[in-house]
Amino acid sequence: MLTLGIESSAHTLGVGIVDDGKVLANIKAMYKIGTKGMIPRQVAEHHVQNVHRVISQAFEAAQVKPSELEGIGYTKGPGIGSCLQVGQVAAKTIAQRLGLPIAPVNHGIGHIEIARVNAGMSNPLVLYVSGGNSQILKLTDDPHPHYKVMGETFDIGIGNMLDTFARGAGLDPAWGSTVEKTATGGRYIDMPYTVKGMDFSFTGILTHALKASKSTGLQDVCFSLQETAFSMLCEATERALLLSNSDELCICGGVAQNSRLKQMLEAIASEHGAKMGFTENQYNADNGAMIAFVAERSLKAGAASPLEKCNIEQRYRLDSARVY
Amino acid sequence: MAMEKIGEGAEATIYSLDAFGKGMVVKTRNPKGYRIADLDSRIRRQRTKKEAKLIKRAMDCGINVPRLIAVGQNSIVMERIDGQLLKDIDITAEMASSSGMLLAKLHNAGITHGDFTPANLMISGKKLYLIDLGLSDTVSSSEEKALDVLLMKRQLGKNLYKVFVESYSGLAKSADDVLARLSEIEARGRYQSRALG
Repeated sequence: MLTLGIESSAHTLGVGIVDDGKVLANIKAMYKIGTKGMIPRQVAEHHVQNVHRVISQAFEAAQVKPSELEGIGYTKGPGIGSCLQVGQVAAKTIAQRLGLPIAPVNHGIGHIEIARVNAGMSNPLVLYVSGGNSQILKLTDDPHPHYKVMGETFDIGIGNMLDTFARGAGLDPAWGSTVEKTATGGRYIDMPYTVKGMDFSFTGILTHALKASKSTGLQDVCFSLQETAFSMLCEATERALLLSNSDELCICGGVAQNSRLKQMLEAIASEHGAKMGFTENQYNADNGAMIAFVAERSLKAGAASPLEKCNIEQRYRLDSARVY
Repeated sequence: MAMEKIGEGAEATIYSLDAFGKGMVVKTRNPKGYRIADLDSRIRRQRTKKEAKLIKRAMDCGINVPRLIAVGQNSIVMERIDGQLLKDIDITAEMASSSGMLLAKLHNAGITHGDFTPANLMISGKKLYLIDLGLSDTVSSSEEKALDVLLMKRQLGKNLYKVFVESYSGLAKSADDVLARLSEIEARGRYQSRALG
């Protein structure tokens, strides 16, 4: 079922085309985040400027014509309202114009499901780590198929923490991946460590690291920040792995691109005889293919939404979304 | 003086030991290969020290916890309680009531447990013991206390919980605040679909 998906929840405007789970195109335009972070009005404007171009490029890359489309999906949330609206309006317009069934998609479900299927896993324990989210989840059928949250951040997502630190510390480019590069070869200094069972918190360590960056070398601060924050995620994940008796561990989301985090989780998985899985970085970063992927499955299950019910929800909880 | 492994969790390994005519339990926090050595040794040392401190404090406040025998860098040696975990037996109203009083005393001593469930309560003869303070903390906020009560609410049936919470309220100094906070927590979306163990 040839399906197009539009992702526009944050800095990335992504358009993907899939057919029977196979990705035919995955095109993106990214808003360049400066020292002030994401300014909602500007990010939305960026998406408006680029949406028609990225859609055309996706059709070219997939070598299909709009008239061949059989379904469409868009990110319903969570995300920045004005940004979500761009994808919503584009998707609704195409659906109406071409008479296509349409499916609103939860952004996090997109990341998890494309990673899970690409890793060849049936029901893994999932660690979803991105800018706005940091959650440990497990699929359950009660009362209907959805991801149940076993543990999560009490405050901000780990990606947001790393990005905010990078900007505050004056790293250029002001981005979490810069923290990873800067950390290489650093020495360890003490940082606050906050884990409560399977939950964790990142604001304390952020404040501490920003202060430390004024008096200590950035290499050491980046190294210690990463080691401590990732250890927190790992401790909570290990506890959840044992508690849920899982023999598979799947990691996804933007921060899953970090090789140090992957290495640490691999150590945990192998210690407990679990298989570790992840997907290509193009799907860990925000993208349209994952939205098309989930939309296609929902539409095949008969879960098309009437146009007037195609809304957006800025705080759309992952555990309230049904998985088909 | 043979040590026998009797349990393994995400954080520690528990051994049973008979020495000097006494039954003892040794709880050892094992190194974690995923985290760097500096951080690993700091966490294990700090948590062991804290747990020992809180066991001592609970003991001093007359709460039934295993007696502390020795503390090392990463290990705690405690008295072994020979009894049955509440999770393995049919909980009676009397046990639920004792659990409520025990938690009230713990909270009155300024300690929250962090994992107050039938898996960490042991009955030995007529006495009820709290056996693991590994996730305990010295917090005075009603949020943390309410989470202790919530865990029991999830685990006990409706009738037993009623007995439990009545005996808790009768003894806990800040029971009103704690129970008000409990309703607040339950109203939060994230807890409605959460897997709490």
